[in-house]
Amino acid sequence: MGRKSQIGTALLASLLGACVGGNGTTAAGKMAPPVLNTTTLTVDAGPSAGGGATNHAYVTVKVCQHASTQCASIDHVLLDTASWGLRLVGSVLAAHSVALAPERDSSNRGIEECVTFGAGQTWGPVALADVTLAGETATNLPVQIMDDSGAGAPPPATCGANGTLINSVSGFNANGVLGVGVFAQDCGAACTTASTPLPLYYGCSSGTAGVCTAENMPLDMQVTNPVAMFAADNNGIIVDLPNLQNANGDATVQGSLLFGLDTQTDNALPAGLTVLGTNASGDFTATYNGGTTLLPSWIDSGSDAYDFDDSTIATCPGPTFVGYYCPANAPLPLFAVNTGNGANNASSTVQFAVADPRSFVSGAAALIDLAGGAGSSNFIWGMPYFYGRKIFVGIEQRTAGAYTGPYFAY
Amino acid sequence: MAVRSMLCVAAVALLWSGGASAHLDGDVASVQADAAALYGLTHATALLSYDVQQIDTAAGLTVREFVARDGTVFALSWTGPVLPDMRQLLGQHFGDYTAALAALDQPGLRRSVRIALPGLVVESGGHLRAYSGRAYLPARVPDGVSLSELR
Repeated sequence: MGRKSQIGTALLASLLGACVGGNGTTAAGKMAPPVLNTTTLTVDAGPSAGGGATNHAYVTVKVCQHASTQCASIDHVLLDTASWGLRLVGSVLAAHSVALAPERDSSNRGIEECVTFGAGQTWGPVALADVTLAGETATNLPVQIMDDSGAGAPPPATCGANGTLINSVSGFNANGVLGVGVFAQDCGAACTTASTPLPLYYGCSSGTAGVCTAENMPLDMQVTNPVAMFAADNNGIIVDLPNLQNANGDATVQGSLLFGLDTQTDNALPAGLTVLGTNASGDFTATYNGGTTLLPSWIDSGSDAYDFDDSTIATCPGPTFVGYYCPANAPLPLFAVNTGNGANNASSTVQFAVADPRSFVSGAAALIDLAGGAGSSNFIWGMPYFYGRKIFVGIEQRTAGAYTGPYFAY
Repeated sequence: MAVRSMLCVAAVALLWSGGASAHLDGDVASVQADAAALYGLTHATALLSYDVQQIDTAAGLTVREFVARDGTVFALSWTGPVLPDMRQLLGQHFGDYTAALAALDQPGLRRSVRIALPGLVVESGGHLRAYSGRAYLPARVPDGVSLSELR
């Protein structure tokens, strides 16, 4: 399960560059035509088993048992630029009759994972799949199956106690989560050699009475960003969504998810790009509205709103939009300054606004300027930031043009 | 502002897997039990109206416990690659926390959550590899202490 080299990517880029305008052959000889690197991104109300999603961007993912024709196209998988790896709801896979081989540790125990998403936690086995998006395939990719059937070992006491257990389509408003952020693995080195393993990966004895103990996990067995495993176009992604049409919300929006950065003619890095390097946690820093506190910040298609703390903005009184801001004079103009870490240390001032969500029409799925997050100690550029922009995500240790990941750029 | 420090290294089980007895509302001794549970180093900083007991672990988890002059923990905060064991940290308030979480009824992936009950506030956020948050007892925050200090 090797990692594709940057040299390979650079070589591919130069070969592609050499054959632009040609018919797929070069003076050096024949080469494969560029693979299709673009898939449709849709913001809509989500899967029918969900509760009516807002600001959720979905893709369709083809999932196959490894080296098999047992495949399914799973729709409404939530695009998430702030996690790493593919997680699918178990009952959805079962409904498509796709059985994935479980990953096993050196003691032949099944491997399960407990992942925290804000107020919720997921639990379920790690399994191996061939995963295809557009014309790109990640082979033998470790993915998580979110176990909503209770078929496997029960979660340890801390999983589902730190947060409500959300494994279902209705819990996620999605059939799965596609994590395509700045890293290859979901945990990284912290899970490989800890003297006391982090409570993330577990080895479990089999059956519904199985007992699970936390254990370290080698990088190539961790749940992995499929983009990092593609044969080509594996150095990052571009999320391209149009502006919304209506201030009171759009029923649906379509855009594109592109794979690779500076590897094909459609994914070039434009001049004047603001490149924000992240730290080992995946964050750059932001200051909010003239404040001096350096807040961990990231660009997050998995968050439906801007998320930051400002006690001067009224929170919504309910019963709808609990936890969001309902400013008195909407749209409320604000700004934040983003600064990158490491070599990609650009600084950029971003103007944005906060809407009063009570003005959105019922049933609208794409909402401009939605914000929340009272009490947050981070600054999250959620889905409203994506509308009308191209967002670039560069994967760690992969190079595109003059930039090496991890970074976000716009 | 006097600063004193003390070091403490011990071992039992990790805080995030449970086992020790420290928590919100606990006493100073319970902080040392936490440090022991974490394989952690603690250092204490004495401020005007409370002490901060900070526990740092090799695994990258930091827990800060805010101890009032009456010797009880009125607030705590955390940062780390995973969430700490909330049952452990919240102690007797854990049930209220989980009940409030379950009542949120906000489906979808959500990266920050705030629980504000009359007697307990919990703010928790982050993503894989980086979680942070705090919990405090509003009625027990000493007079003159700004909530922004409790990080």
